[in-house]
Amino acid sequence: MGTATTRTVALCCAAGIFLTALVSPQAGASEVGETWREAVDKRSWRFPGDHGSHPDFRTEWWYFTGNVTSDSGRPLGYQLTFFRTGIRDRLPADGNRWSLRDLYLAHFTITDVEGDRFLWFERSSRAGPGLAGAREGALDLWLFDWTAAQNGDVIRLSAREEGAELSLELSPRKPPVLHGRRGISRKGEEPGQASYYYSLTNLKTEGTLQLPGGEMVRVKGRSWFDHEFGSNQLAQDQKGWDWFGLHLSDGREIMVYRLRKVDGTLEPTSSGTLVEADGTGVHLELDDLSVDPTGTWISPASGGTYPSGWRIRIPSAGVDIDVVPALPNQELVTERTAGVIYWEGAVTVRGRSEGEPVTGGGYAELTGYAGSIGGLF
Amino acid sequence: MITVLRSSFRSLARRRVLTLFQVLGVACGVAAVVGMVLASRAAMGSFTEAVRFLQGRSTHTLMRPVGFLDEAILRQIMIDPGVAVFAPVIDQRLELADGSSARVLGLDPFLDGEVRQGLFRPAGGGLEERDSGFLDFLLEDDMVILEARLADRLGVSSGERVDTERGSFKVAGTFTHPAAEPLILMDISHAQEHFDMRGSLDRIDLVLKQPETFVSMWSAAGYQVISQGEQRAVYEDMLRAFRLNIQALSLLALLVGVFLVYNTSMFSVISRRRDVGVLRSLGATRAEIVTAVTAEVTFLGIVGGAAGGGLGYALAHVLTGVVGDTISRLYFFLRPLPPEWSWSIPLAGSLLGLLAALLGGAYPLSMAARQDPVAALRGRVAESGQERYAVRAALVGLLMVLVSSVLLALPGPIYQGYVGVFGLLLGLSFLCGLILVTLAPLFKTALRFLAGPVGSLAAGNVRRNLGRTAVAVAAFGIALSLTVGLGSMIGSFRQTLIWWMDGQIRGDIYVRPPTGRTIPAELYGALDRLPGVWGVDPYRNVPLAFRDSLIRLSAIDPEVLGEFTRFSWFAGDDSAWERVERGEVIVSESFFRRFRLGRGDEVVLAGHEGQVTFTIAGIFYDYTTEHGLIMMSRDRYLEVFRDAGIDSLAVFLNPGDPRREETTGEIRRLARTAGVNAMERERFHEGILSVFDATFAVTRSMRALAIVVAFFGIAGALLSLFMERRREFGIYRALGLTGQEVALMTLLEGLSMGIAGFLFGSVAGTALTLILIRVINLQSFNWTIFFHPAAGPYAVAAGIALLASIGAAIYPMARIVRTYPHLQIREE
Repeated sequence: MGTATTRTVALCCAAGIFLTALVSPQAGASEVGETWREAVDKRSWRFPGDHGSHPDFRTEWWYFTGNVTSDSGRPLGYQLTFFRTGIRDRLPADGNRWSLRDLYLAHFTITDVEGDRFLWFERSSRAGPGLAGAREGALDLWLFDWTAAQNGDVIRLSAREEGAELSLELSPRKPPVLHGRRGISRKGEEPGQASYYYSLTNLKTEGTLQLPGGEMVRVKGRSWFDHEFGSNQLAQDQKGWDWFGLHLSDGREIMVYRLRKVDGTLEPTSSGTLVEADGTGVHLELDDLSVDPTGTWISPASGGTYPSGWRIRIPSAGVDIDVVPALPNQELVTERTAGVIYWEGAVTVRGRSEGEPVTGGGYAELTGYAGSIGGLF
Repeated sequence: MITVLRSSFRSLARRRVLTLFQVLGVACGVAAVVGMVLASRAAMGSFTEAVRFLQGRSTHTLMRPVGFLDEAILRQIMIDPGVAVFAPVIDQRLELADGSSARVLGLDPFLDGEVRQGLFRPAGGGLEERDSGFLDFLLEDDMVILEARLADRLGVSSGERVDTERGSFKVAGTFTHPAAEPLILMDISHAQEHFDMRGSLDRIDLVLKQPETFVSMWSAAGYQVISQGEQRAVYEDMLRAFRLNIQALSLLALLVGVFLVYNTSMFSVISRRRDVGVLRSLGATRAEIVTAVTAEVTFLGIVGGAAGGGLGYALAHVLTGVVGDTISRLYFFLRPLPPEWSWSIPLAGSLLGLLAALLGGAYPLSMAARQDPVAALRGRVAESGQERYAVRAALVGLLMVLVSSVLLALPGPIYQGYVGVFGLLLGLSFLCGLILVTLAPLFKTALRFLAGPVGSLAAGNVRRNLGRTAVAVAAFGIALSLTVGLGSMIGSFRQTLIWWMDGQIRGDIYVRPPTGRTIPAELYGALDRLPGVWGVDPYRNVPLAFRDSLIRLSAIDPEVLGEFTRFSWFAGDDSAWERVERGEVIVSESFFRRFRLGRGDEVVLAGHEGQVTFTIAGIFYDYTTEHGLIMMSRDRYLEVFRDAGIDSLAVFLNPGDPRREETTGEIRRLARTAGVNAMERERFHEGILSVFDATFAVTRSMRALAIVVAFFGIAGALLSLFMERRREFGIYRALGLTGQEVALMTLLEGLSMGIAGFLFGSVAGTALTLILIRVINLQSFNWTIFFHPAAGPYAVAAGIALLASIGAAIYPMARIVRTYPHLQIREE
């Protein structure tokens, strides 16, 4: 899934003005003797240990998105994401459990296509006396009662808020796919302007889901897990970005991200990954793919004009698909925050892959369409 | 009609000084009520706003009945399905370098933003968006956010430092609290460290989705879950008695005001008897006369009332501060903002004045209507049938006194007591005429002895003009009775407090920490072991929720107190101490009266591990809290509430110790080393008395106002009387009295009315004192005040009476001396 900057935006959405202050370059730079590791060197990946936290890096996120169907055939989408952002690289010696090192944030959304409903919730907390955290060496994340933890092969997700509830078991069908070059995903030209980034693109998903005021229903489907960490990905000249994580019915998955610069051009390091049915990952450069919007949607809440529907072509892989939002309005408007607004939601796919007709689903993330975001960072 | 009205108003203009006095009289009465109501409303408004501000969105608060919460329970709270939002709070007090104290809230801005959005948000005047100061606030242990007016008072702004008893802090920003409570915000991690509370919380504020399940579950586990509504009710309950007293005081002031108006209208009618006679003979109808007099009374009521509204608004500014100070001293911090000006204030004042004027003017009006033009034209005559009327009024008054006494004697709600007080004072005032008639021979003898025939004349005048003199004396007496009653009540209370302190607060030295601190346990041990020290009482006093209200709980050493103090028992005796050592409790009189739980009864308290039942071994007199106090042994307290804090130490020295000086010095040294204060008993007692004196500021303000009203009352009454009788003075001159003699006569008349008013005021005041002590205080504060008669309040009343009567006589006297007699008898 998305870029480092995307996550930073999401982070700010969740934490409001706090984070604006916390992640602003001046604030970060003011800390004397801060030593965060950067995503520069090649990394020897170890799974499932690397699913856990990497506190040497300043920013880290775990993204779970999925398209599921209830027993009665009702299509639903969900997103459960956890963020960790390092405020300082070490704790003071006093040993107080409230002392702040990392701030944890989380987003939880449900897309109810038939009900034309998009629900979203956010949370943030310091670690405190066990309020939030991410274990090292294993996937074990929690922010109050929102959790994601791996037990054997199974990742369990659980979240509950205002009558919406999610309890899912995710089992990988494919091994982790490293994005970029051996998992180093570049976000700009500067050294260190990169992150370590990999995905579990195809997770068999089963569990229960409840909408506010509705029954608890059993659901089945497919999920996508992104894990990314780094320390220095801020790009001053970026306006926003489009990100796609798509499942095709022929067993392929596609990840695409495009960083849009203020001057209207695309960041040359924008790229993608094609995951073959057997799990093989193919790195895609910007030139290997084209993304053309096919429609627009104007947000009644923010007034932002978003592209709504795209034609994505990857000629080298014989991919030519149309991507359509499952619902037009899957925008997160964070009223209490500094006005950071973005769209992240379930999409459906129809088109051709290797000349054969395919269908599918996935998630898209769009930022920088409602107000200027890039200047904030 | 126009002519009648014009004549009426022309007469008002002609008697400028008198009119001014009349207007001022009405204004004072109205001002007292408006001032009190506005101040009281401002206080309650600020209180509600302040409580809401800090409660934010939270619906409930979770805490231990006593002591701290273990922060580990947050892990249960955060997964509880009934909890929507939670915010841990450290709530402590801190002494600033200037000796004042501030409340410190240790909060987690991330969790707290969901509850109290005004504190850390730019909208609340907090830290600016994207201000890197916020990062410092989170990370640096000396960063604080100050309440804006506290920052103003200390003269600090962002980036500057504040010195406190717990070190120096740097200001990261400010926010505004609606009642300007001196608040200091810290990140929760730093607050825990500064207040030695690592791992502990004072409370958790919650937004609950399913309160019933949550409350029952956590209550069963030894926690206390209070809804914010309950909490507000608890606070409001604390203020209930206080508010009632304020309202009652202001109504008493209005009562005096009504008397003044009555007096004024009565004068309007009587003084213009001749004018009325002339107008009637010129063809004016009865209705026109009534209309004219009504217009005059209405004019006085409206103008005086409007002036009173304005005056009351000014008064409210002073009183708001006084009320806030008193509430802060007695209950919790409150600095109410003074009421804002609105034209509805003089409007309400006018209405009040008009109402009072119509009430006071009803009887005089009926007199005007009945007036016979022929009789009126015959000139001013001594009012006939007055004594009959005086007897009739006295009978009505007696009946009112009787009914009121019954009301006061019967148990009932507090309002009943106030109704009784009003009834009694009103009834007594009706007796005034008869008292004057009865006293007349006495006055005559006394004044003749003093000033010969002139004195005789003066005494006769007072009696002849009973219709007005009785009312003036009554108004004056009622006003004086207020100062006597309030003064004697405060004096008696003070004496009772001294008596109580002498019995209960007998330690030789009291060791007390700065605000927000407790006594280190080591210091207690060290003092206890010190040679020359016979005993040390480690005193702990905490708030405790009991039956939906907040009471106090004290932990003491019964062995030490039993041996060295002389508690005064409301029920029981010193044998109670032994039973307290065995685990029973003793309770204050206020607790007994409030909850009707006495000796031998059981009281159930929520301890650290659920409910514990105690038996009451005795009831002691106590004046520390009107809400109820339970005292238990420290051992039992530790066992049930697991709170080892000590709020102060009472050190009892060996009286025969030859090294007493050295021992005291050593105690002082140990205390200083531990960073706490040691003071001798006398100073401790003085401190208590100064708090006591400060808490009666509101009552004293009302007393001062009563004095002003009293002054205008008598001055206005006398002035009106004299002005009306100007012509008479001429006759006296013609009869051979010198100007000086006539002036002397006037003075003596004033003095005899002053004395009559004083005598009446003293009697009514004494009755009022007894009622305030035996009924009102007992009902509102649940404690016994012992009546200690003192001369002071009576002397003050006598002084006012003297000054007011002489002051009121001076103007007419000056006119008499200046004016030629022929001018005055010309009309005759």
